[in-house]
Amino acid sequence: MGVAFVAHCLLNQNSKVRDGAHCPGVYSPIVDVLRAKGWRVEQMPCPELAFAGLNRFWAVREQYDTAAFRRHCRRLAAAVASAIAARAEQGEDIVLVGVEGSPSMGVTITSSDPDRGGRPAWPEGTSEHTGGEGVFVEELHAELGRRGITFRVAGETHALATHDVATERARLESVLDDGDG
Amino acid sequence: MGDERSFRVALVADRYVNPAPGGLDGLAVLAAAGWGVMQLPDDAYPAEVARLLLAEVAEQVEEFSRHGYLFVLVGERAGLGEALARVGAAVPPLVVPGSTGELSEFLAAQPDPPALAAAEKPTG
Repeated sequence: MGVAFVAHCLLNQNSKVRDGAHCPGVYSPIVDVLRAKGWRVEQMPCPELAFAGLNRFWAVREQYDTAAFRRHCRRLAAAVASAIAARAEQGEDIVLVGVEGSPSMGVTITSSDPDRGGRPAWPEGTSEHTGGEGVFVEELHAELGRRGITFRVAGETHALATHDVATERARLESVLDDGDG
Repeated sequence: MGDERSFRVALVADRYVNPAPGGLDGLAVLAAAGWGVMQLPDDAYPAEVARLLLAEVAEQVEEFSRHGYLFVLVGERAGLGEALARVGAAVPPLVVPGSTGELSEFLAAQPDPPALAAAEKPTG
């Protein structure tokens, strides 16, 4: 058991980009697993919400990979890392639960399209998904690395073509259980 | 693609998100009622850590409020009022519930969010 620092939208789907909210408020499949396993839940800020607003477009990582957004993310990461450090100092196990496919919150899968820009029109599909971290997770990872804090990651997978609630749950349970051995 | 957001957000003290054994599980009540949750920092955090986290909460409240999302406050958190004041936001209606029924009744008594009408969200 330990502390799971979760993406903002997992407790508050109102923060999602328009047309992205999968439920009215709390995304229970993830939260239920964490609580059933006895983990504390702590919510991280949404890096896109305060920066690009509720009317932001769907975007890929390259569109958020700007100096200004990275400064914003580093400010958020410093705050979150301080909270994580306080828990780590108490000997708590730390897991980050991100959002796979997200340009900012992806933990193992983000989105990429170097050519995207200009008038917002593009075909439906998930070809933009690629391995890697989103911009905020990358900055948080770096900040925790500077502080010598280790952690594991898991992700909510709604954006992926392969999304399946049972698989998502099993992966999260596996990550949570990894530290028990 | 549909969008299921409720336009309703609760600022929630940590003890209702991570309740002690026998404590009120506010998160479960809010989830069942369709409210989004913005968790407030645990009282155990050092003051400077809490101040940083509350500043980020306030900045997000500011953006939601500009778009007509409805807020309530579930439980109290020192420093929240000051953080909200810095972005020009008021402290939302407060409940310090002693039971799930009390919290449910409080949530049910809230008005519709202004953003809901603006979005012309289909019902059903």
